[in-house]
Amino acid sequence: MDTEKALQLAESRLKDFIVSANRPEENRLDVVINRKDLKAAVSALLEEKQWGYLSAITGLDNAAWKVDETSKERSLDPDGGSLELLYQFCYGAAVTTLRVSLPYDDAKVDSICDLISSVTLYEREAAELLGIEFIGAPNTDRLVLPDNWPDGVYPLRKSFTGLENTAKG
Amino acid sequence: MDFNTAPEKFIVPIGPQHPALKEPGHFEFTVEGEIVTNATARLGFVHRGMEKGAEERTWIQDLYLMERVCGICSHVHALAFSLGAEKLAGVQAPPRAQAIREMVAELERIHSHLLWLGVAAHEGGFDTLFMYSWRDRETVMDLLETISGNRVNYSVNVLGGVKIDISDQQADEIRKGMDFLEERTKHYLKVVTEDETFLGRTRNIGVMDSELAVKLGAIGPTARASGLKRDVRYDAPYAGYGDFPVKVITNKKGDLEARFVVRIEELFESYRLVREILDKMPAGDLTVKVPRRIPEGEVISRVEAPRGELLYFMKSNGSDKPERIKVRTPSLCNWASVLVTAIGHNLADMPMILAGIDPCFSCNDRIVTVNRNVDSSQMDWEDLRRYGIEYYK
Repeated sequence: MDTEKALQLAESRLKDFIVSANRPEENRLDVVINRKDLKAAVSALLEEKQWGYLSAITGLDNAAWKVDETSKERSLDPDGGSLELLYQFCYGAAVTTLRVSLPYDDAKVDSICDLISSVTLYEREAAELLGIEFIGAPNTDRLVLPDNWPDGVYPLRKSFTGLENTAKG
Repeated sequence: MDFNTAPEKFIVPIGPQHPALKEPGHFEFTVEGEIVTNATARLGFVHRGMEKGAEERTWIQDLYLMERVCGICSHVHALAFSLGAEKLAGVQAPPRAQAIREMVAELERIHSHLLWLGVAAHEGGFDTLFMYSWRDRETVMDLLETISGNRVNYSVNVLGGVKIDISDQQADEIRKGMDFLEERTKHYLKVVTEDETFLGRTRNIGVMDSELAVKLGAIGPTARASGLKRDVRYDAPYAGYGDFPVKVITNKKGDLEARFVVRIEELFESYRLVREILDKMPAGDLTVKVPRRIPEGEVISRVEAPRGELLYFMKSNGSDKPERIKVRTPSLCNWASVLVTAIGHNLADMPMILAGIDPCFSCNDRIVTVNRNVDSSQMDWEDLRRYGIEYYK
């Protein structure tokens, strides 16, 4: 299918869930949705003739930074920022991204494992590296971090700068 | 070793360590008697935190870091990263650079597919095929060394182009190498499609039809062997693939034999592409200038690695260091197909089914056969491989 048509099809299937949408590149459609709509939005893309395939789930830590006026040094602003999940679907050259924003203190979202079983590896990666809880995930075992990694420490968060006592390993 | 063949439920853990092959991974196959009824995976034994590391380094340092994600398909990682960074910076590498990028990517695919052919044959006990294919693979390794100075991590890319050029003499050597490999590959195609013992291990084993492949999100040669025409080189041409298009190889059968045939036929296509690029190499510069600070933005860069689609998500905050680099490697997409197609097959088929997706994990040298209720016995990967070969004798 022609890239433009594929993106229009994706947009029409997602129309009930769009909070905002934009086209950052010619072949890309980014759709911001509410997290309660995630499962419904993914189902809408998959129903009847499946729209491409889920290529990746990217987790982002959109941390807020403040700059000290005298020293010009950048530091984390604990009051701002949020986590974000990007569900990237590919169909030929077309890429549709579902963007779900999650606050730090309630970083939970529905698992979509029951819709796409192969997604478990992506979800577990995001869960371990960014501390996002996937509600209803069938398997929450460690996937990428070592067995002795401390609980509640999420290395891809911007606030993570290294483990203490790493020398003991 | 005494194998218990009574129909009891066993869990056979495979892995994680093996020093000889690529990467470690851990699998557990639940078996009832001979038949596998469930399969799970545990990865991460070599998780190196590269995505986090990339945020601490400059764009130029990251190019070298990303090339080291994989020792087999190093060039495509650097390529995906360069293309993404160039897109963010709003520049495009010159046509000659793009053609050289494509040619090196195809040479890399040749080396990767030949490497896989040897490993997969070895898992089935066909060690003569293994030795021959790896001997022939040296031809392409030597060519890569001739043009780049390195056998792995060729370091061909720079942001904005490439740092190597192809001289007429090198072009002649590459052509000679392609001629030699093409003859050899014809022989391999004959072996995997006509040899009775080989077909006994591959025909109708690990079947995944196109519907299942769509459902499991399979990509690369694994998907193409199930009849899906899924190839980033064709779907969304990058680097030189617009000027030198690729013909997508597919096969409808979806079994292990099809995965062999698709990869071997892709070798012929790679030889043809390399020759075509050498014959029609565009003239001109090798690089354009890329600013040290990359403008703010987000970009998705997709390329076709030897194992399938490789996706980079790159976010820049306008400084000289990236805000986030996400790498989704192709093997990750194909695990699901192993875990699902394994079910219902004999334990003896596992080595070949695992090797069938060309997993960028590894062989695993430590298998513990655990009987949940009674006792446990140890079996290593070599034992399982032997067991598979004996089983089919």
